[in-house]
Amino acid sequence: MIETNEKQPLLQVKNLDITFGTHKNKFHAVKNVSFDIYKGETFGLVGESGSGKTTIGRSIIRINPTSGGEILYKGEKINGKISKERDRELTRQIQMIFQDPMASLNERAKVDFIVSEGLYNLKEKFSSFQRKAKVGKALSDVGLLPEFASRFPHEFSGGQRQRIGIARALIMEPDFIIADEPISALDVSIRAQVLNLLSELQKKRGLTYLFIAHDLSVVRFISDRIAVIHKGELVELAETEKLFAHPLHPYTRALLSAIPLPDPIAEKNKKLLVYDPNMHNYSVDKPVWCEIESGHFILANNPEIEKYKKQLENS
Amino acid sequence: MEQEVILSVKNLHVKFDLRGKTLNAIRGISLDLYKNESLAIVGESGSGKSVLVKTFMGLLDANGKITDGQIIYEGKDLTKFKTEKEWLTVRGKKIAMVLQDPMTSLNPLKTIGYQICEAIELHQGLKGAEAKAQAAKILQDVGITEPEMRMKQYPHEFSGGMRQRVVIAIAVACKPKILICDEPTTALDVTIQAQILNLLKDLKVKYNLTTIYITHDLGVVANVADRIAVLYAGDIVEIGTCEEVFYNPRHPYTWALLSSLPQLGIKGENLYSIKGTPPNLFTDIKGDAFAPRNPHALKIDFVKRPPYFDVSPTHKARTWLLDPRAPKVEPPKILGKLREGVKNID
Amino acid sequence: MALGRKKISKVEENIDNIIKNIPEEELFGFADFDEKAAERAGYSNYSYWRSTFTVFLKNKTAVFLLILIGVILIFTFIQPLLPGQRSPTEIFNDANGVQIRNMAPNSEFWFGTNSIGQDLWSRVWSGTRTSLFIGFSVALSEAVIGILMGVLWGYVRKLDRLFTEIYNILDNIPQTVVLILFSYIMRPSVSTLIIAMCLTGWLNMARFIRNLVIIIRDRDYNLASRCLGTPTMRIIFRNLLPYLVSVIMLRMSLSIPMAIGNEVFLTYIGLGLPPSIPSLGNLINEGRILMTSEALRYQLFFPAIALSIVTISFYIIGNAFADASDPKNHV
Repeated sequence: MIETNEKQPLLQVKNLDITFGTHKNKFHAVKNVSFDIYKGETFGLVGESGSGKTTIGRSIIRINPTSGGEILYKGEKINGKISKERDRELTRQIQMIFQDPMASLNERAKVDFIVSEGLYNLKEKFSSFQRKAKVGKALSDVGLLPEFASRFPHEFSGGQRQRIGIARALIMEPDFIIADEPISALDVSIRAQVLNLLSELQKKRGLTYLFIAHDLSVVRFISDRIAVIHKGELVELAETEKLFAHPLHPYTRALLSAIPLPDPIAEKNKKLLVYDPNMHNYSVDKPVWCEIESGHFILANNPEIEKYKKQLENS
Repeated sequence: MEQEVILSVKNLHVKFDLRGKTLNAIRGISLDLYKNESLAIVGESGSGKSVLVKTFMGLLDANGKITDGQIIYEGKDLTKFKTEKEWLTVRGKKIAMVLQDPMTSLNPLKTIGYQICEAIELHQGLKGAEAKAQAAKILQDVGITEPEMRMKQYPHEFSGGMRQRVVIAIAVACKPKILICDEPTTALDVTIQAQILNLLKDLKVKYNLTTIYITHDLGVVANVADRIAVLYAGDIVEIGTCEEVFYNPRHPYTWALLSSLPQLGIKGENLYSIKGTPPNLFTDIKGDAFAPRNPHALKIDFVKRPPYFDVSPTHKARTWLLDPRAPKVEPPKILGKLREGVKNID
Repeated sequence: MALGRKKISKVEENIDNIIKNIPEEELFGFADFDEKAAERAGYSNYSYWRSTFTVFLKNKTAVFLLILIGVILIFTFIQPLLPGQRSPTEIFNDANGVQIRNMAPNSEFWFGTNSIGQDLWSRVWSGTRTSLFIGFSVALSEAVIGILMGVLWGYVRKLDRLFTEIYNILDNIPQTVVLILFSYIMRPSVSTLIIAMCLTGWLNMARFIRNLVIIIRDRDYNLASRCLGTPTMRIIFRNLLPYLVSVIMLRMSLSIPMAIGNEVFLTYIGLGLPPSIPSLGNLINEGRILMTSEALRYQLFFPAIALSIVTISFYIIGNAFADASDPKNHV
């Protein structure tokens, strides 16, 4: 489905490093992360809280500064200083959906203003009539009634608010959307609505998603490829089904075993794997990010690579 | 499994005064809690699950009232308790609660040791060095290593999962009979969640507890529950053993909840999702509360509220579809995939 | 409770009757499923400002005092226009050409006269008007400057360090010293007083606003605005300030009595308005000297009551509004 070597990736992250704080209290949030995202795919980025996944998302959309490495969008560098022209262009092309529907909307503004906020920042000027029409269309695209534009956010439920947030991002007609845990704060029964909406929009508009989450079961349904991140470093990256069929890195296996299964018998007999970072011996042989089979990357040192290769042959 | 009932709720009605209007939060719930069982209460936000367990401990907000019904515990009716003094004999000592957010459940200005010892001194009557020793033992039980050192630390020095363990330790230190866990793992990551749930299962055996879990996540429920009660709009719509509810659900809401799990999704197709939003509880609801969102609704669902129909001695559901006169409706095919779809993850 | 149960069972009876009349097949037939209807359900019509006013109006004391202040304010403006009112600065002589000094309240001079024969009634109203004017002006100016500074201080990270240092320096200068110096240098007048009080008052407002801005500036909705490319000024006006309106109004309502109190204090130490411009400060000062003499106590009494009413009213109204604007009280 995705031709890896022929097409140029839409987004490339190369050796990204993000450090917070000053000399004494440096916190190395993201260490040497590299991955590519291709046009039209959904790329899942999974990790626990504090693993750095949100930080990566925010630095792609340029809210966080980076400390090293490059982020290339359509072949051009977008981190660091860029011209105002380029900045405005990128604002239109890359958009973000936030996690908490209760905190991501301005309570004191009408839905009309919230959704059309981005339009005011574009170079193109819209008349009031055009703007209202765009807002109405954006709202119906996400399954809300256009009459909702005159109401305030507090009048809506969590799922509806999240859809307003999606409408706000969509109205800019972006090519690339970063979804930062868009369903973690929603009730389990509402999650399906939002996931369906995101899939539909992708098919209709040819969007590319970076889907950040901490729950592998959700990511499996919506992602084409998944990267697993642990304490700022990518540990494994593969196509979804390959990752679920042959997880190699022990952290990935621990994450998989922790997924709650909605089947009482399976769940009660499940063995939970716990990941201990000290199980690796990286004192002599440093780990590298290598491609162990086509499209399947892993962070391991040489002895471990041998071990994994054998596992793949046997399975 | 022992069938001794230790807590019995009979026809409970709870109303709230909100901005001049009345909110019917709980609309006639009857429930029996058996000794040493693990009961899970599942429902969306706004279904009333937190309100229900708050009535067991007298923690309803000031604008809430129990307008009807009884809660019988150890021969006394908890709805008749008026003074704090009466509640102190039950709260903590007999019924303890673990809340959702470990960040705000602990006092940030006091050490962990102080907070646990506080609970021990209050409920077990030990003091000083004895209390500290007991606290260290409990911390060990909940999986915190080097308890003596950790006891001197403050909550902000612990991670989210560790904090939740401390909250559980405090709850268990009171040696309660019933432990209520209100969404204990919703704020935690998936890996930590699994560890905490296993911890709670171990503690239940070790301390001989009866546990109630409140959650909206069916995966969590499958792990820990013996029985499941499904709550919708302040009413129990289905209740049964864990296997019965997962493998033979009968209420359309349970069908909808189970069908919308991402684990059952087929890539490229839409996930099943429940249309619409929960009903407005300010109005009196005519008939079945789930009817407007129920694709299998019968006309009678909009007129008269269904009674409970027994599916088995331990399984009943409140839906007209179980009435002998109703047309036979099969549960969605996708639920058959429950066992296989799940196997693929292993 | 029993009545409720009877009512419920009656309704159930009615339903049963209705059901008896419908054939069984129809009752147990499928109902049409309307998706749009499902979407419309579940809508709350809570409005923040409406709830704030409702809660505020429940506080009868605050409402009463608000009306009282409103009436007093209006009266201070219409009083000179009423028939038969005297000028506050004119000195009145009796039939013999002697100044009518220290005359106790009677039917002609409702509040009596002061020690040089001026009508106390019109002086009190004129003084209240001046003091209220000073109070409102100071509150408004403090608010405008304080908000501007506070928002910049809190939102623009680069300015934080600089502003904090400036604040630390300015905060350590006692307000009284600034007031005295300024009043001493400039000629005493209403505008001098207002400017002098503004010089120091904005600092606390700025600090207060800055703390609140820091709390809300990193919330998701502000990040979302930045992602959409919204410029800083618009974020400040549409995202931050609307959240601060209620606290701004609270601070303003409390700074009005403070400003009036400061004016009284300055007059007391001799740096206030000249006697030709009556204000509550002047009047109280003049009355204070005569406090010991029982016959003349009324000259302190009337302006003191006016000051007390104004001060207490604003404090109570301000606090009632603060309580009402807290969403937790909107029940």
